[in-house]
Amino acid sequence: METLMRIKDLHTRFHTQDGTVNAVNGISYAMQAGEVLGVVGESGCGKSVHALSILRLIQIPPGEIEAGEIWFAGRDLLKLDDSGIRKVRGREIAMVFQDPMSSLNPVYTVGFQISEALMLHKGMNKNQARERACELLNLVGIPEARKRLDNYPHQFSGGMRQRAMIAMALSCEPKLLIADEPTTALDVTIQAQIIELVIRLQEELGMAVMWITHDLGIVAEMAQNINVMYAGFLIERGNVHEIYHQTRHPYTLGLLGSLPSIDEAPGTRLISIPGLPPDLIGLPQGCPFYARCAFRADHCRLERPELEEAGSSGHNVACWRWREIDAETLRKSAGGAQ
Amino acid sequence: MSTQMPEVEVLTDFAVREHRSLWLDAWRRMKASRTAMLGLVVVVVFLLSAVGAHLFWNYDAKTDLDYSSKLLPPNLVSSTENPNVHIFGTDKLGRDIFTRVIHGGWNSLRVGLVAVGISLIIGCLLGLFSGFFESFEMNRIEKLVLMSGLGLALGLLPAWIASQWYQTLLFGGLGAAAVFVEKKLAQSKLRPVLFAAAGALLGGLSGLLLAPLVGLVCGVVGLLIGLLLNKPVNGKAFSSITMRVMDILLSFPSYLLAIAIVAFLGPGLEKGMIAIGVVGIPVYARLARSAVLSVSQKEYVLASQSVGEGHGRILFKHVLPNILSPIIVQATMGLASAILSAAALGFLGLGAIPPEPEWGAMLGDSYKFLSSGAWWAVLFPGLAIVFSVLGFNLLGDGLRDALDPKMRTK
Repeated sequence: METLMRIKDLHTRFHTQDGTVNAVNGISYAMQAGEVLGVVGESGCGKSVHALSILRLIQIPPGEIEAGEIWFAGRDLLKLDDSGIRKVRGREIAMVFQDPMSSLNPVYTVGFQISEALMLHKGMNKNQARERACELLNLVGIPEARKRLDNYPHQFSGGMRQRAMIAMALSCEPKLLIADEPTTALDVTIQAQIIELVIRLQEELGMAVMWITHDLGIVAEMAQNINVMYAGFLIERGNVHEIYHQTRHPYTLGLLGSLPSIDEAPGTRLISIPGLPPDLIGLPQGCPFYARCAFRADHCRLERPELEEAGSSGHNVACWRWREIDAETLRKSAGGAQ
Repeated sequence: MSTQMPEVEVLTDFAVREHRSLWLDAWRRMKASRTAMLGLVVVVVFLLSAVGAHLFWNYDAKTDLDYSSKLLPPNLVSSTENPNVHIFGTDKLGRDIFTRVIHGGWNSLRVGLVAVGISLIIGCLLGLFSGFFESFEMNRIEKLVLMSGLGLALGLLPAWIASQWYQTLLFGGLGAAAVFVEKKLAQSKLRPVLFAAAGALLGGLSGLLLAPLVGLVCGVVGLLIGLLLNKPVNGKAFSSITMRVMDILLSFPSYLLAIAIVAFLGPGLEKGMIAIGVVGIPVYARLARSAVLSVSQKEYVLASQSVGEGHGRILFKHVLPNILSPIIVQATMGLASAILSAAALGFLGLGAIPPEPEWGAMLGDSYKFLSSGAWWAVLFPGLAIVFSVLGFNLLGDGLRDALDPKMRTK
């Protein structure tokens, strides 16, 4: 498969009054064309910031993309000038945001907002763009699309707005769709519809999808590869099977453990990860997960582990003790202890 | 099981509200409010009479003079004693007060519209730019335009002191230069010294052409401007400099500042418009800036950025329409206060030049005759001011309630 995007050593920081927030600390990975990548992690672990950095949508100041390279279609996005990056946005990489309630402009009709990108990037005239917007609304499953074009966002329900946002993102047939927690604000049935929709469109249009979420259940269903992030670091990366069944990082293990399962006996307690993620202003010198880790050793506090190959190729983990962590036996022992 | 699944369309057919735009919605709520409608009626009557008088009723203030009928009380019917009908009476020069009140309305309207126009356009642009670029990075062209604009505006002060208007251009150039040397001198400790020296030279040397003292004052002012322009070229700096200038404008009592500006420009209706307009700028600038700051953080602004829209498009197409309602309300209220300010300037003899009919000037002309019983010469222009101001205020209040999103429940 052909590599679509390669991120090298990306650093994004925010310079605030309290100090420098290290939101993304040297992330490197590659995405294949047509791949569905899940990015998971707790709130505030740099998932969204790293996605916004790809499109250079970080607010500068206080934000700053300090170092790194983002190679996309043969050029470094971080080196493009203003108009260069604007041509990438929407046309090659599109984005869907978390809150469908506020991501549509209340003063314009939905049809106008979808056609705007078409007129901007494809040079369509008003009528052509309107026709295409109608097709797109149809594509994302909005009934009576033609009538709905003239509706204002407040006349749409949350799920429909998210569909409209997806229509907007798809309007210029991007090669990569970044979905930043697009279902977090929706209820579960609508969530399932949206996921199904994106998967269907991904297969039909052959684009790559980066799905950012804190819900491991969602990505297990749809993604091929998963990036687990913690405190601005990429700590584990592999395909779905490796992440779920051959988990090597204690944090991923904790995330998986905190998922409720229908098979569990009633009264079983969910395993929660103790403590809070570290303050991103003054990161600890060693492993960022040290303070909360059940497997910690003295060495972990002193030196930060690098991402290294664990077992199979493509499965990477940043932990000193990954060899001692075997997900299957651990799970069994946890089950036995109950 | 014979029941069929309902069709998908039925399943997903969500309850749809009646198609209603923001403005239609606001209009409905306006209609429900009696005071707002009263305000609207008063404003419409005022507008129609003012515009109608200007277009269809010829009146030459310069030749209107009739000593034989001076200070006649209101006279509603024509009789042998008083053949001429003066429903509002006449003033000290025998002019019909009704005619002058109606024609004065046109002048008040003009002052109101032009003054509010000046403060609205300049204030809103300043507010929009300073609010927007606090959260968006400026590109080179925007930097160049805004910084040289800032230089031009700040340069007005030394230019005015030395009455050498070309000085504004010099400081505008200094602002542009700040952008050009931005990269080269970014870390240099010499930078503030250079800018202060350049500012002092630009102001001081050209001031010296007039007099040593002027040169000294302009030099000091120029030095300060140089230091201001020396700040790092970004939206925050632009915003804070603009807002501090607005603070300075706001710190003067508004009438006093208007009088000072008229005193400098010279009397006349047009000068009055400029004075009142300038005094109103900070209000709009602050209002627009605060609204822009909150709207810029909305996700739809990020979304429009993520489809590749440029700054201008985002600012004027996505941000501006969302901050319009407070500005519309403020502009309506602003019309009332502009009319009042114009009347105040007129009363002091700083507004309209005498034979020209203007409500404040009419009051100022006639209040001396109040003691001799000529109440009509003061009452009617006074009532005209009261009603027009009241009308615009009621309308503004009604608009504020109607455009308030929290009220959008019905």
